[in-house]
Amino acid sequence: MTTVPAATAPTATPAGASRDHRGSPIPTGSMIATRFMELRKRRGLMIALILVNIGIPTIFLTVRLLAHAFDPKSYGPAGGYNIYTGLSAGVIYVFGFIVAATLGCTAGSVDLTEGMFRHLVVTGRSRLALYLARIPAGLAIIVPLVAIGFTIVCSVCVFAAPTRLNYNGVNVPAGLSRAGFESWAGDHPNLVICDFPYNGPGLPNVPCGPNGPVINAPSGSQGPGQITPAQLRAAAKLIARQDYSIYTTQFLYPSDSLMIKTGLWIELEAVTGFFIGLGLASLMGQRTVAVILMIVLEIVLTPILSRANIPHLLNLQRSVVGVAMAHLAPGGLPVFGGGGGGPGGGQGNPRLVPESTTVAVCVIVAWLVSWTVLGAWRMMTRDA
Amino acid sequence: MNTATFTDTAANQAAESRWAVETHGLTKRFGENVAVNGVELLVPRGCAFGYLGPNGAGKTTLIRVLLGLTHADAGTMSLLGYPVPRHRDTALARVGAIVDEPRFHGHLTGRQNLQILAAAREPAARDRIGPSLERVGLLHRADDRVSKYSMGMRQRLGVAACLLGDPELLILDEPMNGLDPAGMHDMRDMIVSLVAEGRTVVLSSHLLDEVERTCDAVAIVDRGNVIRQGPISELLAGTSLALQVECSEPDRARSLLEGTTMAAHIEVGSLGLGITLPGGTARDVIAEINRILVEGGISVYRLQEIQASLESWFLQVTSRLGASE
Repeated sequence: MTTVPAATAPTATPAGASRDHRGSPIPTGSMIATRFMELRKRRGLMIALILVNIGIPTIFLTVRLLAHAFDPKSYGPAGGYNIYTGLSAGVIYVFGFIVAATLGCTAGSVDLTEGMFRHLVVTGRSRLALYLARIPAGLAIIVPLVAIGFTIVCSVCVFAAPTRLNYNGVNVPAGLSRAGFESWAGDHPNLVICDFPYNGPGLPNVPCGPNGPVINAPSGSQGPGQITPAQLRAAAKLIARQDYSIYTTQFLYPSDSLMIKTGLWIELEAVTGFFIGLGLASLMGQRTVAVILMIVLEIVLTPILSRANIPHLLNLQRSVVGVAMAHLAPGGLPVFGGGGGGPGGGQGNPRLVPESTTVAVCVIVAWLVSWTVLGAWRMMTRDA
Repeated sequence: MNTATFTDTAANQAAESRWAVETHGLTKRFGENVAVNGVELLVPRGCAFGYLGPNGAGKTTLIRVLLGLTHADAGTMSLLGYPVPRHRDTALARVGAIVDEPRFHGHLTGRQNLQILAAAREPAARDRIGPSLERVGLLHRADDRVSKYSMGMRQRLGVAACLLGDPELLILDEPMNGLDPAGMHDMRDMIVSLVAEGRTVVLSSHLLDEVERTCDAVAIVDRGNVIRQGPISELLAGTSLALQVECSEPDRARSLLEGTTMAAHIEVGSLGLGITLPGGTARDVIAEINRILVEGGISVYRLQEIQASLESWFLQVTSRLGASE
């Protein structure tokens, strides 16, 4: 060890003491910046987070793009509305939460497990400030990470969307007006009569193709009589008129507003996961068990509690953050864990435990606040 | 009284205090086990102070209580004149400490770890990272990951972390752990240089020899109690005096001396006669012993006073304590 003579003796008051507010609970910019650096430099964690959040959708979409490029007849376009809803609500939403929770658990526990906590406490800095510095630092990593993954999905789904809409197995032009849709149906009566669903009255017995089965034929009836082309067109328009409302919910690619709403919803889910993970890991003082609990919450408990109808535990089910988040899903997205989407999103899904938007928002806020308070309290009272 | 006036008053009281560390009746329990038992400790400013005790005596626990790493169950304490935990942030602004084995984020470099700690201190602490690393001889390895550091290098990094706050008081818990002989020598030199700069260094250790070489004053702790404290020279002055006498007839010499009341204990060994004199015995007694032996017709070839060491004194004190139980 080289002992260098000290240049100066300790000063009576620390240099910069007038700017030193170490008792304040508000973290300084440099505390946040160094905390960000500490998390970002965890190479293994960062690679895992990027792989899960960006790698999985990227690989999936790349394979689809290549498959479609080499054999477009066998493999459909890589993008489109259906791919978008599947990836955003089924992959990024779930993995974004897990990734964020993992980062939160890491941020909440590593100082303690790696022995840095006592060094930090000995600086005299407020323990609350030490805790709060982790929040912006972690969010500065997780929010862009989720945004990048989601942006890749949106880009591919929009730019590699199919040129024609696939409605019940039939390629239909997208964005038609009611008159346009009926007109198109009149021009393609066989496709419409054979493949479009119809359950209304007034449809004559019409054949599906020249020698095909009779559509809408009462049981025991003999085949249709002579059907003129005009009758076929009229029948097709009738079916199209009934199906138009469903047709309008089908898109080639997601709308801008849906993408913005979905993006915000996914970011909210990720932020929630980070806050809960941070608080839980701070409370427990370790990462592994906290991460496992978060995965169990997201993958096992939430789907079960959002679907199961347990009369005496209905309010408990409503208080689960994943159930509340599902209720805030934008319209047009399927709900995580199965179940159809629909115009109302989570709110419009009859399979979800009923819950108002206000209650859902309150539940999410309560989870964010509660876990932050618990984590901060444990940090302030823990033996270092 | 407004906040500014109160802070000024606390600062004035702190400046007037002559103690770097002051505790009264400090107690810390872990269930039934009393780790720190009503400790009264006074560490003067500007000295190297050894806090000595066997393993499990409660040394580290006292340090943890002082630094606010764990709470005290009873008693009062102050650091640099500031009562803690009331003025903990102000007091710790001028304190640097290593507690237990220094551990850091292994995936970061030494410099990056110090950046994290400097960010939690005052803004000027960032400018002290380079000089601190240089002072502990780690500048050339500052950009290596800590996971690649040896135990001794981590100890040095811990000391560098202490220096970030330009501390008036350094509390070093077993700082020699993991250091090779050269490293221990350098650490000793650094402690001496820190004290020469006017800083106070509290050194907790069970290595009595190291403490004796480095410190001006010590406190002995055993089972949570401080049993002795003061300057080393004063403490050793009260210890028993040992003499080694090489003579012609050891057994007859023993009989002659046992007829007097001068010696507390006499034994015949391979090196001759071993004589233990009671604490506080005047040095004239040594000459008197020589006179008795010579007048008794015994040839005295060598008569040597064995200097009392901190280690022998520590063993005497702790053995007395054990015997009294």
